[in-house]
Amino acid sequence: MAVTKRVEKIRQNYVNTRPHISYERAWSWTKSFQRTEGLSHILRTAQAFKDTCEELPVNIWEGELIVGTSGEYRKCAILTPEFGWQWINEEIDTFPQRSQDPYDVTPEQVTFIKENIFPYWKGRSVEEAFLARVPDATKLIGVDTGFLDTDSKWRNGVGEISADYIDVLLPKGFGGIRAEAEAYMNELDISIAADRKKLEFYQSAILICDGMITLGQRYAKKAKDMAEAETDCQRKEELLEIARICSVIPEQAPHTFREAIQFVWFVQLGGILSENPLAWNPGRFDQYMYPYYQADLEKGTLTREEALELIELLWLKYSEWAWTISKNTAGFFAGYTNFENLTIGGTKVDGSDATNEISYLAIEATKEIMTHQPTLSCRIHPDCPAKFMEAVTGLVATGCGFPAIHSDRTGYQMLSNLGYDPLDARDWNNCGCVVPHSRKTFEWTSACTISFAAALEFALNQGRSRLTGQQVSVTEKDAKTFTSYEEIVEAWKKQFRYLVKHGVISLITAQEIHKEIGHRPFMSVCNEYCMKNGADLVDGGAKYNIGPVFTGVGLSVTANSLAVIKKLVYEEQETTLSELIDAINADWEGYEALRQKAIACPKYGNDDDYVDVIARDLADFYRQEVVAYKDIYGAHFVTAFMGISNYLPTGKVLGATPDGRHAKDPINEGVSPVTGTDSSTCLAALRSAAKMKHDMHSGGTLLNLRLDHNLVATPRGRANLGAMLQSYFALGGFHVQFNTISNEVLKKAQENPDQYRSLLVRVAGYSAQFTNLSKEMQDSIMARNAHEQF
Amino acid sequence: MAVDGYVMQLQPFSVNDGNGIRTTIFLAGCPLRCKWCSNPEGLIRSPLVGWYERRCTGCGACSSVCPKRIGCNLNQNREECSACGRCSKVCPTGARTNMVSLLDADTILSDLQRDEIFYRYSGGGVTFSGGEATAQPALLDYLSSKLYDRNISMTLESCGYFEFEKVKDILARMDLIFMDLKLFDDCKHKQYTGVSNQCILNNIRHLAEISAAVIIRIPVIGGVNNDEQNIRLSARYVHDNLPKAKMELLPYHTLGTVKYEAIGMPYATEDFYRPTPEELEHLKNIVRAEGVELEDFR
Repeated sequence: MAVTKRVEKIRQNYVNTRPHISYERAWSWTKSFQRTEGLSHILRTAQAFKDTCEELPVNIWEGELIVGTSGEYRKCAILTPEFGWQWINEEIDTFPQRSQDPYDVTPEQVTFIKENIFPYWKGRSVEEAFLARVPDATKLIGVDTGFLDTDSKWRNGVGEISADYIDVLLPKGFGGIRAEAEAYMNELDISIAADRKKLEFYQSAILICDGMITLGQRYAKKAKDMAEAETDCQRKEELLEIARICSVIPEQAPHTFREAIQFVWFVQLGGILSENPLAWNPGRFDQYMYPYYQADLEKGTLTREEALELIELLWLKYSEWAWTISKNTAGFFAGYTNFENLTIGGTKVDGSDATNEISYLAIEATKEIMTHQPTLSCRIHPDCPAKFMEAVTGLVATGCGFPAIHSDRTGYQMLSNLGYDPLDARDWNNCGCVVPHSRKTFEWTSACTISFAAALEFALNQGRSRLTGQQVSVTEKDAKTFTSYEEIVEAWKKQFRYLVKHGVISLITAQEIHKEIGHRPFMSVCNEYCMKNGADLVDGGAKYNIGPVFTGVGLSVTANSLAVIKKLVYEEQETTLSELIDAINADWEGYEALRQKAIACPKYGNDDDYVDVIARDLADFYRQEVVAYKDIYGAHFVTAFMGISNYLPTGKVLGATPDGRHAKDPINEGVSPVTGTDSSTCLAALRSAAKMKHDMHSGGTLLNLRLDHNLVATPRGRANLGAMLQSYFALGGFHVQFNTISNEVLKKAQENPDQYRSLLVRVAGYSAQFTNLSKEMQDSIMARNAHEQF
Repeated sequence: MAVDGYVMQLQPFSVNDGNGIRTTIFLAGCPLRCKWCSNPEGLIRSPLVGWYERRCTGCGACSSVCPKRIGCNLNQNREECSACGRCSKVCPTGARTNMVSLLDADTILSDLQRDEIFYRYSGGGVTFSGGEATAQPALLDYLSSKLYDRNISMTLESCGYFEFEKVKDILARMDLIFMDLKLFDDCKHKQYTGVSNQCILNNIRHLAEISAAVIIRIPVIGGVNNDEQNIRLSARYVHDNLPKAKMELLPYHTLGTVKYEAIGMPYATEDFYRPTPEELEHLKNIVRAEGVELEDFR
């Protein structure tokens, strides 16, 4: 099916324009906060949200059927100075020029922002509170270092919430939620202290609902006004229909498929305006959209083609909003990706297959228009229908990097291991990139990046950075005096333990601040139990309060390095530890023969237990250390092996490593092998990765592989790919995602970006437009080993 | 009883030699001497070490462990090499590598275990190839009977030159048999492969006694067997003598030339060429016209 002219026109605009910064939301927010000094933070936040909904420019762009935008630009990035403004203040002048994720912004805007918005937030932002409170030792190792990183939890809004469309939003509408809040409120006794807090929560909820209802009404009016001025008859009718829909949506529960799509987008927009969140997940889209689709189809008021167009229009909406992030964060999360994770497939709570026509339409939409959002994820269960597997592998074969493919069962097991009720665990959806998640949950799902390889560097360099010589970690004896492999492993553990501890300190500091000035009334309204409990997410209102998730990077670099030390120094005495240390201090210069020997040692990703067992032991130690800590809600911290794109910045700060890696080269993401070292076959890489006991790392695990596109060019090849997935999942794996575009194509795209604007590739846990990535990121993707077979 | 044999390679993730994901076991030794052979290391049943000049850094690790003190350039002193394989173990870049090794059958079986889960999910299994797999009947018998008992699907790729009665039991364990028919004209067959095709043609007929599906393959070598007459007569023979069989036409490739260099063997000087896709399609139509179905595992 060809895309409609309407969709193609909007898509062309999406592909060919850069996001533009809008300060309108920040300006409304700031003015509101200036008016509400003295009130509690939750009420101020809710009031600011409502004020923003009343003031924000409303625009209906050419050809749109689904409306609502976060500012005055179609491709728009907004600011949330209440979280952090200092980095924006420092970087905003270079936004249009920076290499990764540039934004357009005019000098007039910059001046306005610096003169009218930022001064108010001085001393009031989450970032400043964090930096004022975090201990010096923690700052030394864990702020802007690349060894340990938590800045997405104190420089930006948190996000990482899955909207509860099924039990809350779609059946009630914001009018229904408002009525519920009023009913709860009437039962309170404000002479009781606990009830006073609940009162504020419900008052906030009402403000949020009013804001959302106002936003809908303003769009209804805008559409009506535009319709009156419109001369084109067809467009006029379309605008009148938009006006009709927005006069009832999102206040009321939707009744048609199109109303539901508009509703879903308004909810997304509400979340964006509230905190400009990362990973604000639409969740199990096929499950909650199918009833509307089926009903409309039966009534004869909707065709499959119309539904597809509406889904594609929603996809474009998801993609037109760009996350606003610092240069540092853009290194970690490259490609304007905001991780609006949308899940399809899997099993229903009753155990039966959950795929339906919407699952297929979602895949078709992504295949047709190749937008980088939503982050399309699918759940595959052992009895997955062949048709669905074909659709999934067919999308993989296009090389766009979507969908992220997950094991239905491992996801279930991951949540079960966190103590979820089995029924909730069965209903899991994806969050962000590869996090098994639930719409009943409050959790920081990607809270702290922790580098295994940094711990190794510190262990072998007396707690110092090899590149700067600075003492950033706990001291250790001179590496040349270690006498056994075991002693080195112990030294790594000591350093890693120190990193974990400071990650924890950093995160509980951030949590305390969020409890004071990080209220989330909008997100809380979308959560069933916050409403029931009368408590904001940051006050533990959700049904499940899961501890913050550590994200391990550099597992395979570290395991490979330890394997080299074990084999070359202690087993074969090919070299001495002293010589090896000299070699990495010299970045291997003058030690090429030794480097070749190091490269020839067993490498993770080839199903070789010699090194895979080392990796597994490191992973086990990681979990054991992390879960020993509890957060401010009393929940255990959680482990994950994700990646985002942070294998680049975390590599850049490290010296050479014993595995043969040069200084500043990338490390590895998730449980993926180090680029280029998985030289056996894809099957061996899958087997190595599966040894990591994925269900224990409930925060999610990520495996990226490249497949030669010839392998999936035929139905038979794609069937083999499906079998590989099922095998990996049977072995206990959780997620795998493939890039299948040939390097030839990527090279052309690098040279002639204009002709390849729409080319999507897998970065890590998500896909982005290839030409939107910096040169080094592009190179690193091309270097990933393509598993070819003749 | 311990069984062992000469193995070129266990190639995991083979996807073009039968259904699903497979491991192909290449057994060394071949009664034919095809001039275009792409696996020259597999002609003889004996250990063999190769040397890839392009990968060699000249570090000398190989000669330091070599009992005969052969230098980096193995091909200059090949006659002295006993193929003990010590150099392959220490070579850091894989320039020295074992092309044929003596392997124990049980080691092979346990290695196959690794990918069994992929066979199961994909409907794949194990493919025996070569060299010529039937040239080591004891090893092939042992492996195939063990795999048969493990209910693993098996495929055999053969040049067709064997004593049928001797390997009949082995053939009966296969789910699929690929057999080559390189040239229909016997004189030319002798000229290019060194043997007569009478035995091969008889064996094609005998395959009717076996339950396995059969695919008769023609490696289409430009300048040798790509004439219409050869293809037509071959297809007709298959149609008349083994109606259940399908055919597959594989275009000539030169991927094996690098192996000739590695084992210091001159590559045939003949002017072989790869047929164009159009030419191949034309030849396929001839096969179809003879009433034989074509198969393609791409």
